[in-house]
Amino acid sequence: MNSTNRFLNRLFVFVAGLVVLAAGAAVSVGALLPDAQSTISDGAESAVGPATDALDAQPWILWVAAVAAVLLIVSLLWFVFRQGRGHTGTLLRIDEASSRKAPSGGGVTLDVKVAAQVLEEAITRNPDVVSVDVAGFRVKNENTLRLTAHARRGASPVELRRSIDAAVAEWDAVLGTSTPIVIQIVSGLRTKFAGTNRVA
Amino acid sequence: MSNPALYRRVVRRETHSPRSGLAITIAIVLVVVLAWLGTESVLAAIGQPALLVAPQDAVTAVLSAAAAPAPLLVALGAVVAVVGLVLIVMSLAPARRGRRGATIDRTAAIVDDRVIAQSLANTASYAGDVDPSQVTVSVGARRARVEITRTSGRTLNTREIQEAVDAELATYDYRPALRATVRLSEKGTVG
Repeated sequence: MNSTNRFLNRLFVFVAGLVVLAAGAAVSVGALLPDAQSTISDGAESAVGPATDALDAQPWILWVAAVAAVLLIVSLLWFVFRQGRGHTGTLLRIDEASSRKAPSGGGVTLDVKVAAQVLEEAITRNPDVVSVDVAGFRVKNENTLRLTAHARRGASPVELRRSIDAAVAEWDAVLGTSTPIVIQIVSGLRTKFAGTNRVA
Repeated sequence: MSNPALYRRVVRRETHSPRSGLAITIAIVLVVVLAWLGTESVLAAIGQPALLVAPQDAVTAVLSAAAAPAPLLVALGAVVAVVGLVLIVMSLAPARRGRRGATIDRTAAIVDDRVIAQSLANTASYAGDVDPSQVTVSVGARRARVEITRTSGRTLNTREIQEAVDAELATYDYRPALRATVRLSEKGTVG
């Protein structure tokens, strides 16, 4: 539900793979063809002298290399740290007189925690639910709730969703409006340690 | 106010991997290599001794590597090429996460395949009157395999179990849909 740019991730992996593949293929194909290898190795050997001379005579090449490395590092770090963003702690904000029906004379901000406490209380009444986590995300300019329900071993996911939907309907009635809600029914460590429900 | 386009987007994103781990790993490897190259460049420029390899020596080594014996170069290049191919395949593969999305209503729902497997195992063990520990369910992309270990000395009605599992699957509205096959294990247990 986070705002990770998945296309960018895949493009990055694809380009890295393409560069690695091209380098590997060039080395092995070049070595397989004797003519190509002798031409390239002769050329490379004659280039050793000028290349080291250039590095010795013109130290600015080294500085340029260092600056380029720093710039690339910064952009890579930006790429790494923009993964997994998109959480929000605010569920709803009603501004002063945003519409005719809204009460004027002040704004109201509703925290995700309010929804979390109400929904957790309502949903864990169902014995098939071990625990519920609620998190807020901003998706397509709408604040969206994610309910992660840890199911008890053997619980029917269909019935679980029906009971969660009933709790969501109650919450909608309390809130007076509806925000997008995504339910995840999962099974993890908490399910493993909780044991089965003996009364069916 | 519930938004079907938003829900469709979330379901698609939650059922497929973002490939963040792979991308971050590659980025960190690149950062480490670039940091080392940058440090070596600066050290060489101000005339200090190199950390590992001076840039001049590195350029010479790379240029003279072309004259290395052919089999070594071929093997090295092949390994590198295979790594690149694996990365390309991973960047294009759908990378499903073992979850499926249900129909969108007031809410959107995503169900873990493990929850489905446990529910089917529960159904099968009730229908066949066997201990839950004797039922194994594995859920693939479109197929759920239910395997039951018999208690020796007792007959087991596979059809009843198949019908019960099919009835359970019929109540599901998940995409991709599942079909179940019930199989008896060749081994038995002492009950």
